[in-house]
Formats: sequence, structure tokens, C-alpha cells
Amino acid sequence: MKSPVRFERRLEQPKWLNWAIPVVSLITALVLGAIVLLATGKNPLDVYSRIFERGFAGKRALSGSIKTATPLAFTGLCAAIAFRMGLINIGGEGQFYMGAVGATWAGLVFGGDLPPGAVVIVMALSGMVCGGLYAAIVGVLRAKFNTNEIITSLMMNYLAAIFLNYLIYNSTSYWRDPESRNFPAGKPIPDRADWNFYEVGGIKIPLSFLIAILAAAAIWVLYKRTRFGFEVGVIADSPKAARYAGIRTTSTIVIVLALSGALAGLGGAADVGNFRGLLDSKGLQMSGYGYTGIVVAALARLNPISTVVVAVLIGGLTNAGFALQGPDFPSGLVGTLQGLILFTAVAGEVLVKYRIRRNRQAAAVLA
Amino acid sequence: MTSAVRMTGIVKRFPGVVANDGVDVDIRAGEVHALLGENGAGKSTLSNILTGLYRPDEGTVEIDGRAMQFSSPRDALDAGIGMVHQHFRLVSTFTVAENVVLGESDSPFMMDQSRVAQQVEELSNRYGLAVDPSARIWQLSVGEQQRVEIVKVLYRGAKVLILDEPTAVLTPIEADALFKTLRAMVAEGRTVIFISHKLDEVMKVSDRVTVLRGGKTVGTVETVNTNTRELASLMVGRSVEFNRVARSIPADVSQTVLSLRGVSARDDRGRDALHDISLTVGRGEIVGVAGVAGNGQRELAEAISGMRALSSGHIDVAGEQVQSGRARSAIAKGIAHIPEDRLHTGLASSHSVEDNLALKNYRSSSLSKFRVLRRKAIRAQATDLVQNYDVKTPDTVTPVRLLSGGNVQKVLLAREFSSLPKVLIAASPTRGLDVGAIETVRARLVEAAERGVGILLISEDLDEIMSLADRIVVMYEGRLVDEVAAESADRERLGLTMGGSTVSGGAR
Amino acid sequence: MLSKTRGSLGLALVAALGIGLVACGGDDESSEPAATKAPAASEAPAGSDAPAGTDAPAQGATLANFTPWSADAPVIDCRPEEGPLKAAWIYVGPTNDGGWTQQHDVSRQAVQDHFGGAVETTYKENVPEGPQVLQTIEDLIADGNTVIFGTSFGFQDAFVEAAEAHPDVCFEFATGFKGSDNLSQFYGAAEDTDFLAGMAAGAASATGKLGMVASFPIGEVLRGVNAWTMGARMMNPDSTVNVVWVNSWFDPPNERKAAEALIAEGVDVLGQKGIDSPATGDAAKAAGVPWAGYNADQSANYGDVWLTATAYDWSIYQIPRLQAILDGAWVAGNYYGNLSDGFVTLASFGDLVSEETRAAIAAELEKLTATPGSQFTGPINDNKGNEVLAAGVSHTFEELMSMAYLIEGVIGDIPAS
Repeated sequence: MKSPVRFERRLEQPKWLNWAIPVVSLITALVLGAIVLLATGKNPLDVYSRIFERGFAGKRALSGSIKTATPLAFTGLCAAIAFRMGLINIGGEGQFYMGAVGATWAGLVFGGDLPPGAVVIVMALSGMVCGGLYAAIVGVLRAKFNTNEIITSLMMNYLAAIFLNYLIYNSTSYWRDPESRNFPAGKPIPDRADWNFYEVGGIKIPLSFLIAILAAAAIWVLYKRTRFGFEVGVIADSPKAARYAGIRTTSTIVIVLALSGALAGLGGAADVGNFRGLLDSKGLQMSGYGYTGIVVAALARLNPISTVVVAVLIGGLTNAGFALQGPDFPSGLVGTLQGLILFTAVAGEVLVKYRIRRNRQAAAVLA
Repeated sequence: MTSAVRMTGIVKRFPGVVANDGVDVDIRAGEVHALLGENGAGKSTLSNILTGLYRPDEGTVEIDGRAMQFSSPRDALDAGIGMVHQHFRLVSTFTVAENVVLGESDSPFMMDQSRVAQQVEELSNRYGLAVDPSARIWQLSVGEQQRVEIVKVLYRGAKVLILDEPTAVLTPIEADALFKTLRAMVAEGRTVIFISHKLDEVMKVSDRVTVLRGGKTVGTVETVNTNTRELASLMVGRSVEFNRVARSIPADVSQTVLSLRGVSARDDRGRDALHDISLTVGRGEIVGVAGVAGNGQRELAEAISGMRALSSGHIDVAGEQVQSGRARSAIAKGIAHIPEDRLHTGLASSHSVEDNLALKNYRSSSLSKFRVLRRKAIRAQATDLVQNYDVKTPDTVTPVRLLSGGNVQKVLLAREFSSLPKVLIAASPTRGLDVGAIETVRARLVEAAERGVGILLISEDLDEIMSLADRIVVMYEGRLVDEVAAESADRERLGLTMGGSTVSGGAR
Repeated sequence: MLSKTRGSLGLALVAALGIGLVACGGDDESSEPAATKAPAASEAPAGSDAPAGTDAPAQGATLANFTPWSADAPVIDCRPEEGPLKAAWIYVGPTNDGGWTQQHDVSRQAVQDHFGGAVETTYKENVPEGPQVLQTIEDLIADGNTVIFGTSFGFQDAFVEAAEAHPDVCFEFATGFKGSDNLSQFYGAAEDTDFLAGMAAGAASATGKLGMVASFPIGEVLRGVNAWTMGARMMNPDSTVNVVWVNSWFDPPNERKAAEALIAEGVDVLGQKGIDSPATGDAAKAAGVPWAGYNADQSANYGDVWLTATAYDWSIYQIPRLQAILDGAWVAGNYYGNLSDGFVTLASFGDLVSEETRAAIAAELEKLTATPGSQFTGPINDNKGNEVLAAGVSHTFEELMSMAYLIEGVIGDIPAS
């Protein structure tokens, strides 16, 4: 039996699709969501206005969305920078953990002595180095032995999780709070190692979110304007052409993965410095920032600036999701709504490249 | 006689280009009809319209006398039109039979292997398309893969087959076999549209020829009533001569620009591909490397251009040693390289014309400062080169993969020649190009030699080597097995040594 | 944060990438006893009355096992100006986890049923530990909730911060140890029911080889494992208990694997401690091995292998506390419930538990109801041969809370502490 519809690659991609598809996607999501909501006896308008109100409208909502978005911005950038070179780094999760480990160490060691500004820098650098080196292992394996980076980076997420558990639960490590003999917890960093929040027009913005914006801009410049970015682009396009042009492919792979991991590691540093104030093994593993970051990057089409914007959207959607749920609004329904919105967004992306056609015999036109 | 396909007044515009500008073709049922034209003449656009990939802006398409509008390849296939693409669309880990049914919209979820295999076998026997249905694609030669493509189209019931430059990837023997198949198909009443720019094959295989030039139909002639010379002049719009190219400044072999001493190297699978090769190229000299493809030519080019590490030996340019396996060193020493695989090795095909023109010198101080690219300078360089090398492109930011074959090669030439190299490695530089482009490339090579560049011309095309080279070496199984002066070269002897027969006193 | 996103868009995308979801956490239980942090009630001046200015008695006087942080702890009035009292629960896991969170939500519904229109309850589930917690609290307060219950140890710091920022909101926290004028702590003596469940397990073992899947080697869990083992050895003197640590509160696939590994090693009865899900029971059911559960009565679903379990009834604490708010008499303090007030109970017995065993358990239950924690009375040796308690000596409450050894008969180690 023939299926009634089929997908065909678009030969030409009209420009108007670039804005039309997202708009249509959003409307589709809202309509589909409304059907689900009506079916479960909810008023869609109420629900949507609440999503908007709790996710994006007003200072408190925006403050919250930006807070939720911050770690995702970093893991999104981590994914985007590697994916752009065709390196599928799934390891943002583990690199984020390692960044948190490094930054916590720096915060504990230097938090008491250095001036606050310097502590922030030392923590950020330490997080970047740890995340970067951790990802560089994947890079070296890929560059030297041609190991599939998807698999190695994923495996290393599990390793990093085990390492976190070891530091907090199964050892008396430097990271573990000796006060917490009974229930193992991370050792809190000194107050002066805490990163600032800034108030801009009533919206609370964590320092690390500003760092994420700067990082996104830096990546944009790196990829668009520098020799290194040019080389990455050529390798992504054709590794053979890169070798032909004398571009050092192996070292570029390692550097890009290290940069990618450094961004996730910076996110881990932000998590410790701006939000948790300690190495939270369990909380980190529950959050899954690294995996969500992949989605953020994909929705942003790997553009670093869009990645930050999409992170805020997802952050708002997440917060709105928590605001929605309750005894008469199960989290499964919230998940369904969020899933619909993201699914149609991704489906829309597909429709930019493909079109759907009804399956019928070629229409003979009578001249 | 009835028309199988009639296309009238076809117009297709792309941004900046009119690819088809009022093309008329009338193809009769049961004939082999050649579409002849230079690269960029509009052949591919026309066949894409016929197979439903593009929609024409103007004009009509009639199949068996009925006007049709295709909006997808599926529609065209339903109307009995099938295309054998130049670049195969096969899944290399699948079997032949699996590939044949792949993409069938009504293919059952579980396929009946033996039934498909039987049908594949039947088709291949009927048309002399020897292919084993259970073989996996990666095990097949290029010629066999092409047969799979043809079987695939036949399996789907195509009455009209379009073959796009089918011989480009074939050996002469394979090409002859293909021609026999095509004749067998028309004998059964199918129709073949044969797209080519090779005059000899068109003369050999077709019943009628339609010549396209600049997106317009020049005319349709019966093959028996024409000859290569006439077709060539129809195609390029003037008469063309194929002769040995005379050079105004002769080679200066007293000055060696490239010297290989005892060079050995391995191929991608780690097997020895080059054995102890020693070779010199003098200033302004063109040395032709003849040989059947796969005898180490690619590895030789890659070794010299630094893309492949040597397992032993040295390579010097004008007395300076090139670091083994370091393309950057080779580029710095003045080695230019026109690789055989232009779109994926010589160019980053999704990148713009201007990026590709800067692919080797973006590191120079004129194009980047403090590791930041100077975009304006890159664009200015591109604008100049596009003009000087007559590259036909809408602008310098167009991706090179959207350019026609001849213009792709021009981009490559522009970059490589403008680097003012001492040595040029040119691998099959005219393969797949049309007559006009071939002339341009050859003229550029000669010009470079006259400026003193030492050229190593690697080609399977003996005519090309004999008309351009000063000296010819023959490669066989990774060794240089013969060397002759081009003037005294004898086709028969070259043919023998290329095939592995020893010639007394010739080997070195 | 984004646990939602993992569950939903994760379904579509992340999971499609073949990424196993990191399991959502579970019950984080207490560490240091509140008693060590807060002055004991006994230190309060004898006969001191309820805080001045109210006629209603401060609640320490009416709720058994509850002690205000101090005698002069202020009464917090978090009643709404109008309408019902709005109370919210924050869960770390899903309400259908078959264990910890589910039991919390059952209690919430009991609270709702008890108060009817006077109290309006709501909850947020799957809230990951971290920055999302504070945000969720803020959101709930913005929605008019003035009582917030927390049910995961990892939420504690967020509750402390929120309590400071909202002095007029009542915060109630299960399994933690930090308190303030408007932040209370509540939990209870699961070690007593664990002991009784262990008796059922010991009696069910023919080979004397038992196995236990446990979460983290921390005080509360060690206490439970030791009590369980003690109960088992009471009924089956030479039996041993093999412990596997899974380092997670809620990771059903891993829990099941651990249980299967124990079965493969030859244990013929399974138990679990600090583990939210009944995945151990799934393994037991598949192998036909008797199983003592945890958190909730699962006899209906695991009838063939069910023995019994420790079960919590959080509403025992919550109902009087909400009543205190309605009465304008709420003060913050610490609560450690037990068998006597019904905060911990032994779930119903499965058919595998003989009448004889039931009788033996009933006798012990009576003792523990009268004197909680009395099973930890010497002589007690640890599993390295050291004496922990001499004959006749019992643990103090503080020692119970900070237990850091494995009792004789347990096969396993405390990885590091």
C-alpha cells in the first residue's frame, strides 16, 4: 500500500520559508496544544496566557527564565561549536560536571584570599580547563585513532557521573563537606567566591549569563572572522580539501573539542559560582543540562547568538511548565505541551528542507 | 515516427543565469538520442526538467504526445522516465537487490529477496548487464555500480532512460559494453537519451544528435549524416583543432625544479603504492605521467603535494627539501596542485568562490592580520581572479558547487596559477570538461610552462599527454616503468607498458 | 532544572539520540538530628508557657514527638487574609514512582480530604535539586501558597534561603536538619519498622543468605540496614545480609540489576533501604524470591513474593501542623515520629509470613512502640569484630542519628567516610 503522503527534498529553498515556517510551526503547536487541552477539559487561552506570563512576561518571569537558561546557554554553545565542525560532541553533560569540579576546587582554594573579581576569573578558568581537557581526550581519540566521538563522549558522561559520586559519596575528597558526615554533600565555597547578580531594569541577571553572551559573541567572531574559523569551516565541508590546503586537521579537531568542552566547563563553573555554591553531585546529574543543550543548539541551527536566545526560550518554557503543573495539571500534560512546541519547531526545520506531497499519479494536464 | 518525448520552448532561469533559453528537443521512440553540448550548455538542466527535479519557467513537455507537468521525480518515473545519474545513488553496504528496491514507495516492509534477485537477474541477462544481485555495492567496480543504477531504473519500468555522461567513470572496454546494452534496449523499443560532450562516443552510439549551446538548441542531426568535426563546431560555435601544442619558450631542463629521489609511499589502506620513484622535472618542462588509473598516480600526486607522508625518499623543489606529509610545506615551497577530485579535494565545495580562491593563501599577511581574516582583501582577490580567469559566477559568494564543471576548474586554476608556483602537479586536469574548457586549461598549462613552471601532468588521456608533454613516463603498479621523449612517443608502446608489458631497454 | 524538558522534549530528541535519562532523584533523608542543633525542649524553662500574646497553646504541647526550636520560638501566622489556606508540596520525583514521592502524595491527599474546603493543596513534581527549587517556591508563593512542604534532602538550602526571604510563610521540610523561625523539620523512626520487616525476611530465608539493595552508605540508611539485619538474625541466627550500594535514590534499572546480581549470588530473600522504587521487587517477583519492600504497602502488586515493609504516613504530622496554622498557633521545630503515633507503620503481611512469625513480630512491635530505638541495645558488634555497644547499653538518639558502622552479619563495606 502506498502511504498517502511523502517527503521530497526541496530543490530550491525560497527565502520566505525562513520566517514563514517558524510562524506556522508556532501556530500549529498552539492549535495542537489547544486540542489536547480541550480534550482534557482545560481552557487553552488560560493555559497559554499563563505560560507566557510565567515564562516571559514581567521582571520576575524573565529573571527566572534567564536563570534557568544560563547553564543551557553554555551547554548549547558547547554543542553548537562542535557540531559546526561535524563533531557530534554529546559529552557536554560530563564536561559540565568536570567544569563544576574544577571551579569548586578553585573557589575553595582561592575564595578566602583573592579579591572577589579575581576569584571569579580563577574559577571560570579552572572550569574551562577541566571541561576542555576532559573533552580534549575525546578529541585526541578521534584525531589519532579515528574513534567515533559520539560514543566516546557519551561514555565519558557516565564516567564523569561516577567520578562525581566518588568525590561526594564514596571518599573523603577535598570537595566533600567534612561537616556532612551523615549525609554527604559538597563543601560550600566561601561567600566571596559567589558570583554576582546584576539588576538591569528590574530583571535579575546572573553574571554568568552575561559571560554566556560574551562567549557567544566571541565564538561568532572566531568562526566568522578568524583564520581558525575559516579552517574549521573547510574541515567541516571537506576534510580532504582541508588536508590539501595544508590545514592541520588533527590539531584542529582536538582544539575544537577542547573549546567545546571548555564552554561546558564554564557552564559548570557558573553553576557553582552563580547558583549552587558547591559541588552538587546529585543535583547536577538530575538536571541533564548537557543533553538539553544539544536540543538548544539544534533549534538555534548552531548559530551561537541564536543559541543564547533559544536557551532563554527553553528556560522560560521550563519555568512555565513548573508553574502550570499541579494536582489537576499533571506533569505529563505539561511535558506533552512542551513536547508539541519543540516537536513542531523541529518539524518546521525539516519543512524548510523538504516538502510534503500527496501521493497520486502524475497529473496529466490537458493542453 | 512517434515522439517519445517532445520538449518545446523550454526556459529555466536561475538567479543570475538562464540555463535553458528556449530549448526544443524531439526524441523519437526507440532511438538513442544524444544531447551534446559543452559544460554549462544546459544539458543537465534540461534533463532535470524532464525527470521532474526542476519545473520549467516556460515551455511544454509531452510524453507520448500528452502534455505533462512533473512536480517530482516520482511523477516522471510514473510516466516512464528514468535517470541514470553521473554520481551513483547507491547504499554501499546494501546488496544489489536491496539497492534496486530501495526507495520504491510501495516496497513491502519485508522484501522477497529471491523474487527481486530473480527479476534483477532477468533484466541483467536480457540487456547484458552482468551483475550479481547478492553482491554488496562496495564490492563492485564503478562500471558494475553503473549497471546497478541502470537495472534500478529498468526495474521501475522506465521506458525512456536518460544517461548523464555515463562513460566519464568507465574504462574504454566498459564503455563499449555499455553501448551494446543501450543498443539492446532500443532494439526492444525503449528510448535512450545519452548526454555527453564526447564526440567519438556520440558518433558511435547515437541515432540522432541534438546540440545545445548557451542554453539554446543549435540543431538536431542524423548521426549518419555528420562527423566529429561538424559536431565540434556546432558545439563550440567555431571549428576546433586537436594538435600538438607548440611552445614559444622551450623547456630548460638544465635547471631542475622538482626532483624525487627514491620516493615510496603507502595508500590509504597501508599497502605500498609507490615504489622507489625517482623523477625530475626541469624548469618550463611538462612531464606527462601515463598509466591506467589506480597504478599509484593519485598517491604520487598526493606525496608531492604533501598530502601523503613518504615511507622513504626525498622530494626537493628547486633544491629545497619538502617536508614529508606536510601540505603546508609543499605549498610554501611553491608546489601547486590540481587534484583529480576537484570538488572535494581541490575545493571546499559548499564554500564560496572567494573562500576557495583564498584556500591556500588565507594565511598570508595580505589576507589576514593577527589571525583575523581580512574579508575585504579576500573579496578583492576573488573579484580580480574571477575576471582574469573568466569564471562565470553570479558573484564571489556563490558556493562553488553551484558552478558548472568548467567554471569549477577555472576557480581551481585561478587559485593554483595565481600563486606563482615553481611546480604544478596537474591530475587529469581536463577530465569531464567540454571542448572549450579543455582548450582553456591546456592553454593555461602551456602558458605556465612558458613562464618556467615545471609541470607534472598526470593523465589517463594519452592524446592529452602526447599533445602537451615534453617527456612521458609510464606508471605501472606504483613504479615508473618507461620513459620516452614525447616527439618520439609511440602510442602502441605506451599502451603496452601501461598494461604492464616490459619494453626492452625502456624501463628505469 | 529542565527535568521537565528531559521528560518531554527529551522524549522527542534527547532520548532519540539514545541517551539514557539520568534518573531523577528520590528521597533524601536526614542526617544530623535536629536535636543536636536545637536546644532540647527539656532545656526550656520548666513550666514556661506558650508564647505571649496568644491564647492557643504552642504546638509542642499538643503534637507528640514535636519539639519547638526554642521555648521562645515566635508564632508565625501564615493564614491568608481571605479564602482557604493554600499549601504546596514540592517533590523531587514523579507522583507515581511507586514509593517515596507517591507516599508523600498519598499523604497530601489525606490532608486535603481531612480539611476539605479549609485548605487548598497543590504540588510540583519532578523538580530537580538545584536552582529550580527556589524558583518553584517563589512561584508557589506568588500563587498565594503560604505553607510549603519540601520532601527531598537536596532542597534544604533552597528552603533555608526562601524561609529567610519570606518570614510570613510557613516552611515544612522532611528529612533535613536546618531550622529557623519559620522552617520546621520532620521525619521518623523507620529503623524500628525496618527491624520488624527484617524479622519477616529472616524467617522467610531457608539458606540464611539474604540480600539488600541500598542507596547511599549514610547514617539513615546504615541504621535501616543494621536494624533489618538485626531483625533477620533474630529469627534466623546465623543468617547474613549481602548489601549492594547503588548510589542513587531512584534508578530503577540499576536497582533491578543489583537485585538480580544478589539473586545470582544465591540470596533467597531480598530487601531494600533508601530506595524509592519497587524495582527490587520486580527482580524478586521474576525470580520468585521473597521480598521486603520500602516506603509503601505494595502487597497488592507483588502478592506472590511480598513479605512486608516500612511505610510512612506523613499526614500524621501534617494534619495537626496545618490545624495549628488555622488556629494561629504554628511555631517552627523538629519532629521525629515513630510507631506510637503511627508516622511509621508496618505494611500488611504477605501470605509468605507465617502466623508464628507474625506473632513474634507483634511482640517486638509492642516493645518498639513503647521504646523506639530499643533494638539497638548491646551487646552489638560491627562486622569487623569490634564491639560497638556493651551488653545492656543503648544508643543515644544522637548516636542513632549518626550511625556509621555495619552490624555483624552484614556482608559489605562502607566505601569511605
